[in-house]
Amino acid sequence: MNSVTGNLTSDAEALKKLLPAQDILLFPFETEAGMPFIAVYADGITDKELLGEQIARPLRSYRGSVRADDVRRRLTCPELRPQKDLALLAAEVLAGNPVLLWEGMDEALVTGVKKVFTRAVAEPPTDVAVKGPREGFIEDLKTNMSLVRRRLKTPDLRFETFTIGRRSATSVTLCFLEGITPPSVVSDVRKRLAAIDVDVLPDSSYLTHFLVSRPRSLLKQAGTTEKPDIFCAKIAEGRVGILADGSPVALTLPYLVVEDFQSSEDYFVSPHRATFTRVLRLFAVLVAIYLPAFYIAAQLFKLQLIPIRLLLTIAGSIQNIPLSPSLEMLLVLLLLEVLNEASIRMPKYVGMALSVVGALVLGETAARAGFVSTPAIIIVAFSGIGLYAVPNLTETTSVLRLAMLLVAGSVGTYGIVLLTAFLLFYLAATENYGVPVFAPFSPMIGRDLRDSLVKYNLSSLSRRPVALNSRNKRRMKHG
Amino acid sequence: MDKISQRQLFFFLACVAPVGKLVLLPAQLVYASANDLLFPAAANYLLQAGAIALVMLAARSERTLPELLENTFGKIAGSAVMVCLSFFYFYAAFFPLIEQKLFVQGVFYDTLPSLLVFSPFFVLSAYLCAKPASAIGRISDMAAPVSVVAFAGLLVLSVPSADFSALNPVGAAGADGFLRGTAWSMSWFFDSALLLALIGKFRYRKGMVWKAPLCYLAGGAAVIAFLAVFYGVFSDIALRQTFAFAKIAKYFSAISVLGRIDYVFICLLSLVMVFYTALPLQAGTQALRAAFRDKGSPAIYAAAINAVFFALAVLLNDRFLAVQETITKTLFWIFPLFSCLLPAAALLLRRTPREKTA
Repeated sequence: MNSVTGNLTSDAEALKKLLPAQDILLFPFETEAGMPFIAVYADGITDKELLGEQIARPLRSYRGSVRADDVRRRLTCPELRPQKDLALLAAEVLAGNPVLLWEGMDEALVTGVKKVFTRAVAEPPTDVAVKGPREGFIEDLKTNMSLVRRRLKTPDLRFETFTIGRRSATSVTLCFLEGITPPSVVSDVRKRLAAIDVDVLPDSSYLTHFLVSRPRSLLKQAGTTEKPDIFCAKIAEGRVGILADGSPVALTLPYLVVEDFQSSEDYFVSPHRATFTRVLRLFAVLVAIYLPAFYIAAQLFKLQLIPIRLLLTIAGSIQNIPLSPSLEMLLVLLLLEVLNEASIRMPKYVGMALSVVGALVLGETAARAGFVSTPAIIIVAFSGIGLYAVPNLTETTSVLRLAMLLVAGSVGTYGIVLLTAFLLFYLAATENYGVPVFAPFSPMIGRDLRDSLVKYNLSSLSRRPVALNSRNKRRMKHG
Repeated sequence: MDKISQRQLFFFLACVAPVGKLVLLPAQLVYASANDLLFPAAANYLLQAGAIALVMLAARSERTLPELLENTFGKIAGSAVMVCLSFFYFYAAFFPLIEQKLFVQGVFYDTLPSLLVFSPFFVLSAYLCAKPASAIGRISDMAAPVSVVAFAGLLVLSVPSADFSALNPVGAAGADGFLRGTAWSMSWFFDSALLLALIGKFRYRKGMVWKAPLCYLAGGAAVIAFLAVFYGVFSDIALRQTFAFAKIAKYFSAISVLGRIDYVFICLLSLVMVFYTALPLQAGTQALRAAFRDKGSPAIYAAAINAVFFALAVLLNDRFLAVQETITKTLFWIFPLFSCLLPAAALLLRRTPREKTA
C-alpha cells in the first residue's frame, strides 16, 4: 500500500502517476506565510468555484501548524475526510472529490466539493399518474435518496452504499426499513450486492441479473419503479429497495407478479374503481396475449369457435389473402413491433409522423392491396393497445404473445392450453428470496387477496402483505 | 418450497379431482347403468371417501410412505413395494392419457389431427414430474378457482336445456346395472392412491380425517349434479356423448349468436385436466425415485418416464379403444386394490424405525 509521505512534490507526483489522464489537474497554491499546498482534482466533475471559495481562499491567510486538524479547522467545506492511502485518494479524485496535499504532513484531506449534474425532478414518462404525486427519480443517487428520506422520516430507514463496477465504481444504495424488512432478505441482498464483480454498471437493470434466483427467466423477477412514492410504499410493505447512481429506475425485491397490476393511483381512488381498473388491466393483458393466438387457432383448426356471422365476415376478408393465417398474423405482429421499436428510437417529431404513417397509411394500403386482411389488423391493434395497459410487463407479454401465436399456428387451441399450463406451473414453482412470485394466488393467501385484483377499502388493509414475511405485521390501527 | 397445506389438499380433492370424471366417465356410466348413472358414481365416491379417511389416518405420523415402508419391511422390501406402487401409478396414468388424447382430438380440431399435436403434453408432464410433490399444492391453489368458474359456467349454460324427468324411473337398471356401472367406472377413481403418495408431504391437522373425505364428497356432489344435467340434456343419446363437458352446453340458446362461448369454460377445464392427467405420472416418478433412494436427478427420471409414455402413445395410437376396454372392463379390479386396500394396509405400517441389532 502506497501512502502519503509528507513530501509534497513526491506525493503529488505519485498521485499523478496513478492518475495519468489529461483531465486530472494539479492546483498548487501557498499561504501568505509561504506554506505550499496542492489540490489534485478531476476537471469537469469538480466544482472549481467551491474549491476556490471553501479550500484555497481560507488557506491563503493560514499561519498555523502543518497538522491536519489545524488545517481542517480553517476550511469551510462541510465534507472533509483524512486519508493516507494513495489508491483510495485516487478513487476519490475520480469520484469528483479533490484531494488536498501539503508539505510536511503524511496525510491528505479529501474534500467533498464534487460538481453534481442533475436534471430537475420531474414526472417519469413511463409512470404517469392522473391523481397522486408526480415526482420521479433522476440519475443522481443523492437526490433520489433525499426523495426517499423526505417520504420516510424515520430513523428506521437505512441506507447502505456499495461501490460496484471495477471501472465504473458506481454507487449503489440498498434501502430498507429496520424492524420491518425481514433480516434474511436484507442480508441475502447485501451478500449478493457485495459479490457482484462487473466492469461497468451502466444502469440498475444490470443488477437484476445478479439479484434474482433465475436470471435467465423470461418472466420478470424484480420490481421496478421510477416513482419515489411507489418505492417508499413497497419498502414500507417489507421489501428492500435498490438505487443506483446514474439510473432513474429503482429496483424492489422480493417481487410479486401482482405488483404490476397495481398502480399508485389505485390507492387514491375508491376501492370499487381500483378493482375495476385492475380487472380491466388483467383483461387487457389476457386479450393482448391470447387474442391473436385464438384467432389463428380458430381459423386453422376449429372454425366453430367463431360465431357464424363473424365467420362469414372473416371469410369474406381473407378469401384473397395470399398468406396463410398464421403467417399473415405473424407479419402484422412483427410490423407492429418494428413500428413500436422505431417510434421509440426515432427523434420525437419523426416518431410521431412514423406512427401515423405506420398505423394509418401502411395498414390501410396493405389491407387494400390484399396483403393482409382487416380482421388481422384489428386484432393486432387491439392486442397492441392491451399490452400497454400494464407497461411494466410489456417486455414479457410481447414475447409471450409471439410464443402463443407460434404455438397456436402449429398445434392449435391445445397448444395454447399447454403453454398456459406451463406458464402457470412455472410461476407457481418460482420463488425469490423465499417469497413465491405468484402469491397471493399461488400459494393462495386470503388476506393478501384483499389488495390483489380486488382492492379492499384502506381500513381492511391494516396488515402488511403476509407473503413478504415482514417482521412487523401491522401497519395501521384497525378501523 | 414448503409442505402442502391443508387448504391446498382440500382444493385438490374438491376442485381438481372431479375434473378427471367429466370426459368419458358420464358416457361410460350411461352405457353400464343407463338413467341410473348417478348411483354407481355415488358408490365409487363413497368408497373413495372412506379410503381417503384411511389415508388421513396413516398421514398422522407425518412420515412419508417410503419411510413407513422402510420402518416396517426394511430397505430392500420397502423399495420393492415402492416400485410396485410406481407401476400402479403408471398403469393408472395410462387411462387419463387416453382420455385426454381422445378429448383433444375430438374437441379442439375440426379434422383428426396428427398424433404429434398431443406430444407437447409429455414435455409439460416431464416438467411437472421433475418438480417436488409440494408443487402440487401450489398448482392446486391456482387450479381450484379456475375449475370452479369453468364448472359453474358450464352448468349455468346447460341447466336450461336439461330435462331431469329423463332420470326416471329410478332403479330401472336394477342391481346388475348398478354393479356393472360401479365396476366399470372404477378406473376413474384412484384419488386416494394419489393422496397416499403425498403422506408426510403435507402437515396433518386435527380433523383432516373427516374434513378431507368431506371435501372429496363435495367435489363428488358437483360431479353427480353434472351427471344429472348431462343425462337431462341428452337423455337416451347420452351414450354417444363421449366428451361430456365439451358437449353439455352446446344447446345453449345464445350460441348461435355468440358462437361457442362454452369453449371458454372448456379451455379452462382442459387447463385443469392437463394438471390432473399428469398427476399419476408425477406420483409414479416420485415413487420410483424414492424406491432408488432419490439417486439421480428427478429431471432424468421425468424425461425417461415421459419418453416411454410417448412411445406407448405412438405404438398404441390405433388401439386406444381396445386398451380402454381392457382397463375399464377387465382390469378394473386393480384400482380398488391399490386405492382402497393399500390405504388400509398403510395403517399397519410401523411409524418408528426398527432398532438395529448388533
